[in-house]
Amino acid sequence: MSQRLHDVRNHLAVAVANVEAFRDGILEPTPERLEVVLRALAQADALLPQLGETENRGHTPAAP
Amino acid sequence: MNLLLRGPIECGGRAEGGFRTKPNGVRTVERSARKVLVVDDEPALIEVLAGYLEGEGFTVVRAADGPGAVAAFEAEQPDLVLLDLSLPVFPGTEVLRRIRALRDVPVIMLTARTDEIDRVLGLELGADDYVGKPFSPRELVARVKTVLRRSERPTVSTGRQRRVGDVVIDATAHEVRVAGKPVTLTPTQFKLLDILAEHVGQTLTREQLLDRLSTDADVFDRTLDRHIANLRARIERDPANPRYVVTVFGVGYKMVEPR
Repeated sequence: MSQRLHDVRNHLAVAVANVEAFRDGILEPTPERLEVVLRALAQADALLPQLGETENRGHTPAAP
Repeated sequence: MNLLLRGPIECGGRAEGGFRTKPNGVRTVERSARKVLVVDDEPALIEVLAGYLEGEGFTVVRAADGPGAVAAFEAEQPDLVLLDLSLPVFPGTEVLRRIRALRDVPVIMLTARTDEIDRVLGLELGADDYVGKPFSPRELVARVKTVLRRSERPTVSTGRQRRVGDVVIDATAHEVRVAGKPVTLTPTQFKLLDILAEHVGQTLTREQLLDRLSTDADVFDRTLDRHIANLRARIERDPANPRYVVTVFGVGYKMVEPR
């Protein structure tokens, strides 16, 4: 599996875990923590184009 | 206990070998509190897990890299380890190998790599369970409790052997032999085999198996298939065409005497 996909999941894990903790009243959604979530989402987002490239490489249609 | 006012943790992992003696330096009365070692290189994730676990009355020890995790394991004697697979210095798999050599403590792996799951749950590493990232921290804490409950249940049976075909299960010695050759199983695999062997020829539903493994059915449903696959890999000549542990389609599994 690609290292990038792995990285995307790690960033999402940070975002998901924190937001759930806010929902469940486990952690307070301080500006710092919200910043952590936003940064994690931005990092995941930044990796998406590279993921797309990897995906497409395997499915290049034959040249006409 | 006020959960909302917990400040940010200092995750001391990288700088000082990855563990702190006690969160907040408090030595409390909780002599019997279960201690969980949480290992991840992402402080924001550790903070969340610590929040949930401490909210449930667990004591939390933190580590952020491979060496820190091993040091914390030795120093703190945790009751359970939550272990991320990718860590700085050396990976979670190596941590697992080293702590398994020290003491048999339940380990739940956290991983973003689905391609590693078989290896992690399998004999090579023998983690008790895994959780794929991203995960629900609430669900993870439920698994922690389940795995602890399972591991703390004392083994009831002593002095008995079961034999099914060439498979001999010795519950006293915690040994399994296939055609006379010793086979090493993880605690979960052993228990699964023992349950199946106790009911030779009888189909056990997934529900029954999960129940007997004293696990949470919702949570462990997919994990059961992994454990069955890993068990087959250990005891079957051809795991793809099992002779002992057979699938009863749509129902569950049963152990049979091979013909």
